[in-house]
Amino acid sequence: MTKAKNVRHHVVIGSGVAGSQAAETLRDREPDARVTILTLSSLLFYNRYDLPKVFRGHRDWREFLAYPADYYRDRRIDVRRCSRVAGVDGSRRTITLEHKEEIRFDTLLVASGGRGYIPEELAEFRPLMHPFASYTEAVTAANVVPDRGHVIMLGGDMIGLDLARTLVDTRHRVTLVAGPQTFWPHEVAEDERPGLIAALENMGVEVVEAADAGGIASIEQGAKGLSARRVLFKDGTELYGDAVMPFFGLSPSVEFMLGSGTDIERGLLVNPALRTTGEGIYAAGDVCQIWSDADKRYRFFYGWKNVRAMGDLAARNITGGDDPWVPVQDEKLHIDDQGKLQSPFWEYE
Amino acid sequence: MGDIKPPSNAPGTPAAEQREYLSDDPRDIGWVKQNVPCQTACPAGTNVPVYIREIIERQFGRSYETNREANVLPGILGRICSRPCESQCRHGWPGNGEPVAICHLKRVAADLKDAGHRITERLYSPTGKRVAIVGAGPAGVAAAHDLSLLGHDVVIFEREERAGGMLRYGIPEFRLPRDTLDIELHNALRLGVQMRTGAEIGNGEGQIPMAKLEQDFDAVLLATGCMAASPLPLQGDWEKRELRGLEGVEYGLDFLVQMHRGVKKVVGKRVAVVGAGFTALDCARVAARLGAQEVTIHIRTAEEYIPVTQEEIFEAKREGVRIKGLRTPVGLTAEGNRLTGIEFVQNRLGGWRAGGRRQAIPIEGSEFIEPCDTIIIAIGQQTVNDFLGTRLELDRWGNVRVGEDGMTSHKGIFAAGDYVNGASTVIQAVGHGRQVAKRIDAWLMGRERRKQVVRIVPVEQPLRERAFDFIPRQHMPTAPLDERMKDGAHEVELGLDDKLAFEEAKRCYLCNLRYQIDVDRCIFCRACIEVAPRNCIKLVRGVEVNDDGAYGKLLETKEWNQVGAIWIDNNECIRCGQCFKACPVQCISISRCELTEVEV
Repeated sequence: MTKAKNVRHHVVIGSGVAGSQAAETLRDREPDARVTILTLSSLLFYNRYDLPKVFRGHRDWREFLAYPADYYRDRRIDVRRCSRVAGVDGSRRTITLEHKEEIRFDTLLVASGGRGYIPEELAEFRPLMHPFASYTEAVTAANVVPDRGHVIMLGGDMIGLDLARTLVDTRHRVTLVAGPQTFWPHEVAEDERPGLIAALENMGVEVVEAADAGGIASIEQGAKGLSARRVLFKDGTELYGDAVMPFFGLSPSVEFMLGSGTDIERGLLVNPALRTTGEGIYAAGDVCQIWSDADKRYRFFYGWKNVRAMGDLAARNITGGDDPWVPVQDEKLHIDDQGKLQSPFWEYE
Repeated sequence: MGDIKPPSNAPGTPAAEQREYLSDDPRDIGWVKQNVPCQTACPAGTNVPVYIREIIERQFGRSYETNREANVLPGILGRICSRPCESQCRHGWPGNGEPVAICHLKRVAADLKDAGHRITERLYSPTGKRVAIVGAGPAGVAAAHDLSLLGHDVVIFEREERAGGMLRYGIPEFRLPRDTLDIELHNALRLGVQMRTGAEIGNGEGQIPMAKLEQDFDAVLLATGCMAASPLPLQGDWEKRELRGLEGVEYGLDFLVQMHRGVKKVVGKRVAVVGAGFTALDCARVAARLGAQEVTIHIRTAEEYIPVTQEEIFEAKREGVRIKGLRTPVGLTAEGNRLTGIEFVQNRLGGWRAGGRRQAIPIEGSEFIEPCDTIIIAIGQQTVNDFLGTRLELDRWGNVRVGEDGMTSHKGIFAAGDYVNGASTVIQAVGHGRQVAKRIDAWLMGRERRKQVVRIVPVEQPLRERAFDFIPRQHMPTAPLDERMKDGAHEVELGLDDKLAFEEAKRCYLCNLRYQIDVDRCIFCRACIEVAPRNCIKLVRGVEVNDDGAYGKLLETKEWNQVGAIWIDNNECIRCGQCFKACPVQCISISRCELTEVEV
């Protein structure tokens, strides 16, 4: 009984790459601890890099799971699905779920990731867009785009361009409305951009520069018998397609951390050991901005390998370590010898 | 105060037998201040629950008048208020959801009242006293209105061509339409206030010396606001350099004032705004309307900590404005006399400054440059005192120092608004203007003529339903982007219509309703506790009494043999009325408690 009293409760918010890796490491390093994952998702951990497969006919959710349910049971990792965190009180070390349940924690790892960002000027058209950030959204999008249908892709971050490769491969037509977020999170120099756009075109993606058309004026639903969507530009030109899919990069999911006592700029601010300014609270993955001594600024690190390494590092530091973050992923976008775009962010296991 | 006696409205007395009464008991005044957080947070003391209740009853004109009792400019504040009330709203407390859209509802009262609506004013007979007010901004106008009601002859001296101060010259039309401004200023000043525009106080040619005002008037109120832009503190070679002559450098306040005087303003393609308040946001949005292709607001801390509303931030972003945080400007870059960029240093967040703002701590060696061709500096405003010709004591920030009675170090000269408090908000200026007007009146008349009491009105039954607690906050409809960006005058927020207003108004908890249990009649059946949606009904040993006489901390107990009473914790109570409906012996009473003023 004495031992049970000393058992620590590690709570992880988020069941993506960072959260799942962290839970695994926490269990390995502290076999007696309670480990709980809180996730908004109704599914256990699946890899979002697999989601383009829905356009190849894979729609069964079981095909996407990284591990079977037994994996969590055997490792005594309690995964609470469909759990929306309403708030975190850092001083009381308490998480409040949307249905008012309170969960006490000894340490908290926030690995809630990011949601697809939609620029505020396009926010009013959100209901007419098909995002692609979760399994449910991916299946919905795949259901509305017919065979050889036409997808209008806005923004064109690397998640979207990964999907574009699959869409072209599966004989869909893809028109990219390019803008400042194209190639996100790669930082592309102005003189590199034309070559990269040409590489995209070489891959079969049609490209329209939004700025050349004065920007997007509106997105509209097509009348019966016409294409499902129309994108109207400010210069009066227009595009018709079966779906409009936004890919403008990610926006960290941190709303529930407001008022928690942790510092936030765009993401949760963490030191190189991934500690937030809240006692016992860590962050990993797309949700955190890590202080970089080299760059002298807080910055995000993206990519599957980086995110997994962050989850692992945070768990090690939660359980007594004090190691600094070192990126593990190359971030260079390049064109291969076939003239096609290649990104390290597209590589995953 | 022997003339204010409560009737025998003991809790449990049938509502039909209870009577409305006025109370100056500090426990009642303290109760309102503790339990109606929105009203307490409002610098003007606006009676929020009452005006929202009147909107539910679709009495828009009455709601407007309720507003006007505290704040003479409801249609204006309903558009541009900084909303200190909403951050305190009980509906926004953890677990209760989002705060009520109090500000939008204020605008509803102004917009939806009948055309030809009758304004109510409580006029006093003429006193023969004359008061000069310098400055026709919100503090000056609010003070002029109240002083004229109190029977004094008021003359406002305003250096600009039109009245309104920062309202007219500092706030863009897309946030505050000028017809709304004109109507409310006119209504505020129509009771005989003389407005002398283009009248500058000072000792120069064509100016009116302060000494002349002191000679001609019984009292002078200085309400000239903060009309000088604060300089940008830079480092190195830029530390002592005058920036005004550099091409591409604008000061935010000057930029807006000149534009509203009719000067055609031009900005570059890439505009950087430095600052974190409403002025910075306004400058950025104006720059976007003037054709800038890229507008970025650079802030020292982070979006979460800047003193503007989330709705304003969202609308600015919709218009293409970007916000970048954790940076402090330390220098500029220029080619010849033309600005080419800003040198920043990266910050980290520090502790909290006095006043609730977050500190930013620069990180050594982290300097970087952001290119731009226009910088708009909007980091604050300062007072200007050189017009006085009379030496007044100033505080360490250069603001004029006033005593408890609102008087400066010079007898008969009072000061109000930003001129005293430094750059603040319109509602703070209005509230302070009214406070000082009351003190001027007391000084002129030799006594206070009005005092604060609580009007306590029995209420027969709960005025809310539990279902109202689940209504989401109603969003403000806004003009489409292509329409609003056509010119600088197209109002962005369109106002809630009758239907949206009704839904939003129902969300208000009506915190001015006081639920009480008559312990003598309570049978301790726990029925009220069983139905309570929150931990709002408590078993207590007793209740502490605060220094001001108001009830304080509840001394809770779980031991039945120690229970002195079942007590409704009005702090937790969301006025759902479930306990009232469940009580089998009707020992719970409801009364509406509202602060008001009566003649002494």
